[in-house]
Amino acid sequence: MGLLDKLSGWLGLRKKEVNVLCLGLDNSGKSTIINQLKPANTQAQEIVPTIGFSIEKFKSSSLSFTVFDMSGQSRYRSLWEHYYKESHAIIFVIDSSDKLRMVVTKEELDTFLNHEDIRGKRIPVLFFANKMDLQDAMSSVKVSQMLCLENIKDKPWHICASNAVRGEGLQEGLDWLQGTLSAQHTAHITTTKNNFLNMFVFLFFLYL
Amino acid sequence: MTSMESGGDGGKWLDAHYDPVAGLYTFSSCVDLADLSGDGENRLVVGDLGTGSSGMKLKVYRGTALMSENTLLDLPAGLVAFFMDLHEPRIPTTAVASGPCIYLYKNLRPYFKFTLPSLEVNTLEQDVWQQAREGQIDPLTLKEMLESIRKKADVPLSVRSLRFLSLETDGLDEFVQLHKQQPIRRQTVITCIDTLKKSTADEDGVSCLVVGTESSDVFILDSKAFIILSKMSLPAPPTMMDVTGQFDVEFRITVACRNGNIYILRRESDKPKYCVELPSHPVGLVRVGKNVLVGCTDESLQGFTQKGKKLWKIVLPAPITTMAPMDLPTRGFQGVLVGLANCEVHLYRDKNLLSTIKTPDVVTSICFGRYGREDGTLIMTTKGGGLMVKILKRTVVFDDRDSAPGPPLAQSIRLNVPKKTKLYVDQTLRERESGVAMHRAFQMDLSRVRLAAAKAYVKALESSLTPMSASLSEPLKMNAVVQGLGPSFKLTLHVQNTAACRPVMNLAISFLYDENLYRIRDPYMRIPLLVPGLIYPVGTFVDCTNDKGITDIIKVFVLHEGRSSPLLTAHINMPVSEGLALS
Ligand SMILES: Nc1nc2c(ncn2[C@@H]2O[C@H](COP(=O)(O)OP(=O)(O)OP(=O)(O)O)[C@@H](O)[C@H]2O)c(=O)[nH]1
Ligand SMILES: [Mg+2]
Repeated sequence: MGLLDKLSGWLGLRKKEVNVLCLGLDNSGKSTIINQLKPANTQAQEIVPTIGFSIEKFKSSSLSFTVFDMSGQSRYRSLWEHYYKESHAIIFVIDSSDKLRMVVTKEELDTFLNHEDIRGKRIPVLFFANKMDLQDAMSSVKVSQMLCLENIKDKPWHICASNAVRGEGLQEGLDWLQGTLSAQHTAHITTTKNNFLNMFVFLFFLYL
Repeated sequence: MTSMESGGDGGKWLDAHYDPVAGLYTFSSCVDLADLSGDGENRLVVGDLGTGSSGMKLKVYRGTALMSENTLLDLPAGLVAFFMDLHEPRIPTTAVASGPCIYLYKNLRPYFKFTLPSLEVNTLEQDVWQQAREGQIDPLTLKEMLESIRKKADVPLSVRSLRFLSLETDGLDEFVQLHKQQPIRRQTVITCIDTLKKSTADEDGVSCLVVGTESSDVFILDSKAFIILSKMSLPAPPTMMDVTGQFDVEFRITVACRNGNIYILRRESDKPKYCVELPSHPVGLVRVGKNVLVGCTDESLQGFTQKGKKLWKIVLPAPITTMAPMDLPTRGFQGVLVGLANCEVHLYRDKNLLSTIKTPDVVTSICFGRYGREDGTLIMTTKGGGLMVKILKRTVVFDDRDSAPGPPLAQSIRLNVPKKTKLYVDQTLRERESGVAMHRAFQMDLSRVRLAAAKAYVKALESSLTPMSASLSEPLKMNAVVQGLGPSFKLTLHVQNTAACRPVMNLAISFLYDENLYRIRDPYMRIPLLVPGLIYPVGTFVDCTNDKGITDIIKVFVLHEGRSSPLLTAHINMPVSEGLALS
């Protein structure tokens, strides 16, 4: 990255790029959610079960997202961990009407949280309790209870109920994610800026 | 959702659901999983036996919730979901066997009823009912006549006559009035039901129904026209059945019968091809791969080949309540689940126990397969009517050694024994050819060794080099002890007169040693009179004078005054002087 690039980044002229990993069991609505977040003219009409994974890009007011939409089918779940290292944020989608497989969701979530690339990393996790429109869907409170989300202490997390088909609840989640990522980003910039300033002062003294 | 401890199954299963009061009373033969709505989500279909006399229902579950219920007219003997046609959308039909009928349900609604053909009726029985109808005999005579027919007839009585015979005297008249107009029919009862693919092995291929009946027959029914494609006869009524293959190609029906035998039926013949006589009655029959596993009342699980050859037998800790196959094609896993009366479910691959699941109640039905969207789902119902769903963890690998009792696995590993070398082979050949010469050479060498040993011994005796004196006048024995770390050692010689009563006197001890290495304080000592039997310690000090850690032998001689040759000699191996190294 050139100095100019860095400068424009720090000054907020260029949108910061973030890698987001989208996880969740098959049929939970990951692809539908990501499709909804894309600009209207690039949205796909029909969503089919994802094979392996697919990469999608979209922008929010201040961030430029690259989303890895993973397949949730059990035979592809072993792929997830290969993308943990490069990710800046996680979107975890839950089918709130699938009571039977809530244990499977919890098992996969716990495996994820205990992975060496994730444990101890302050990576924001956004949960979508999706399919809230369905009659037998559980509330987002119930979902977070069943998944024991209150035990996640070392990462910023947030859960919203959503209906991916109609796009409800998605913006709220995205706003939270953007806010959290920007806050982390700003903290990072301030320290770098300070270093930068110190260097100037130092050079200045040298010059004298 | 109620969560419960998985207990001894090593955390292989996730507890997805447990409803102890689901009110499901059923057996493994009445449970199946199928995509009844064609939406890719499998439902659980259960033939609920209710109390056994009422409340029989066909229940369908989706996830954790009961989705639909249909009242069943009779007690279900078996239930299967299968494709009966190729119509789109591909929705399977549910067949429930009860009494002589098969009830078919499509889209959760009753659709068709098939009744097995009636059996031949006893002509004598028909005659006496005819007489009763015409008023020629009264109900009591009818009862007597039927009773005598029942005792000697080859063709058994109809259900109607049997019920009549079981009535009390005051109900007879009413019963005759009620039934005498109807013709007598004799019907068999279905005891077990399964499916057989028609012509393709595809998962969603069209199937035939295979039913076993109380009349000791096995029928194969075409599911489109409901005609009997094939009828096979067994020596006894079948109780459990396993069907594999395709009707048009080749198939194999393994049947456990009420006489305690297992018969194997093939496509070519309407009589059993093989027979397995079990030592005790079968209570479970499951095919795993090409083998047939049978659970018996003697708390054993036995494996047989598909030709009926016994492979193995293991003893279980409790009586078997139910058995079901565990087939997980996505992971290439095949095993058998065995429900036991001690509230455990065991998973075996061949005879190896892979997992033990503890259950809060005795399990009466087991079904493993795809439920909802989860491939590895285990569904169990309990004696108390509970429903339990467990999901196999994605990361589980089953290890044969897991908890299998018996010989360790290493025992069956072949050792990598090296091939016989050329040298070895040549040597054996040589031994075979010139064995006699080799033996002679050996004997010669042996004699030489003996001679050399004898010579050395004689020499030692002659020069009294041994610590035992052989001289008759002075029989002596001596041993030496060296104590200390050095450079100063204490040397103690224990001298004993081994004669019976004669004392020995005028003896002395002297030493022969390297004077550059050792200094002995008393190099010449006189020994007092030796009383027979007593041990006399004679001590002196040896100083090691070198510091190189070199050791040497010190020779000790016991001498008789006035004679130059010693009575006996001892060699003392001196230890390394460690004290010198220290200082
Ligand atoms: N009713 C309802 N259906 C939804 C919702 N979100 C997604 N779906 C449906 O759920 C099904 C699966 O959605 P996908 O987006 O393909 O799920 P996925 O998580 O990407 O699945 P995989 O790619 O297999 O991992 C589709 O038929 C969607 O229409 C929702 O909020 N409400
Ligand atoms: Mg997808």
